[in-house]
Amino acid sequence: MELLDFYADWCGPCQMLKPTLEEFEEKHPEIKITRVNIDEEEEMTEKYNVSGIPCLVALKNGEEVAREVGVLPLKKIEKLVGVK
Amino acid sequence: MKKYDVIIVGAGIAGMTAAIYAVRGGKEVLVLESRVEGGQIINTTSIENWPGELGISGVGLTRKIKEQAEELGAEFDYAEVKKIEKNANGWTMIGEDDEKFEASVVILAMGTEPRKLSKKQAADAGERAISYCATCDGALYKNRPVVVVGSGNTAKHETAYLKNIASKVYHIHHDDPIPKDAVAVFVAIGRVPSTNFCDGLVELDENGYIIAGEDCRTSEEGIFVSGDCRTKNLRQLVTAAADGAIAGTEAIKYLG
Repeated sequence: MELLDFYADWCGPCQMLKPTLEEFEEKHPEIKITRVNIDEEEEMTEKYNVSGIPCLVALKNGEEVAREVGVLPLKKIEKLVGVK
Repeated sequence: MKKYDVIIVGAGIAGMTAAIYAVRGGKEVLVLESRVEGGQIINTTSIENWPGELGISGVGLTRKIKEQAEELGAEFDYAEVKKIEKNANGWTMIGEDDEKFEASVVILAMGTEPRKLSKKQAADAGERAISYCATCDGALYKNRPVVVVGSGNTAKHETAYLKNIASKVYHIHHDDPIPKDAVAVFVAIGRVPSTNFCDGLVELDENGYIIAGEDCRTSEEGIFVSGDCRTKNLRQLVTAAADGAIAGTEAIKYLG
């Protein structure tokens, strides 16, 4: 499993999500988180058709299996990725 | 299951201030939040009307208040409350995954949320992206046509903001058809209280706001309300905090 985190530096909700994602990373080191700055990585942002940020996209073997737009608490990120 | 003296539903400025007051009054307090602390204010980059902190960001202020509440002993947990039921000793909050939380007293502080598009316009928008915040999501639509729906000041501001980003910005009213070529719909048609689960629990006004006076007491004993979801004239950060102080204090008095 892999998690893409689409964010921007100026986005308040993205800043609120940051410590929760760090907590997730610590708890689930087996899941790779790739942070995508939408201002710098337009191609990735377009490829995944991101419509709002923060946006978390869960990938399994490179294929999208789930996504959520907006800030999420730890429990819901775990649910999105399918881990506990 | 741990039973709290006070459960506060919603961790915006009103809810977190209520937590500070209730916990300082010696009560066991849980703040239940569906997504993230701060509420509406986290989208604001610079606050100019919060006394003592000219220019603080919404995120910065939220972090400070949460830290303060936690340091004083308030607990935080995350669940979207779907229902509140009366039990023999108080109230049971039921979350979306059927998780349960119990308390003697409840303070409702869910705030407001953006009003959604009408059914007709939502159908018209189809699969196109819908956003309720141009400053948050505008950058995703560089050089592409977008539409802003709404007649008020917010809609005007969002239109002006997006004109610097999008290739074309349509500005339409709440019952106009969505232009065919717009790739994203920015909705600015006002806000509604987040009180869906409160129908039948406490008295609401015709717009869904929880009816209570300055004492923040609802129609139901043991349930208080604070912040933007209460019937009031001025919805600001400081009035949310003021409500939190009152509801927290009233909760302490009620518990004795």
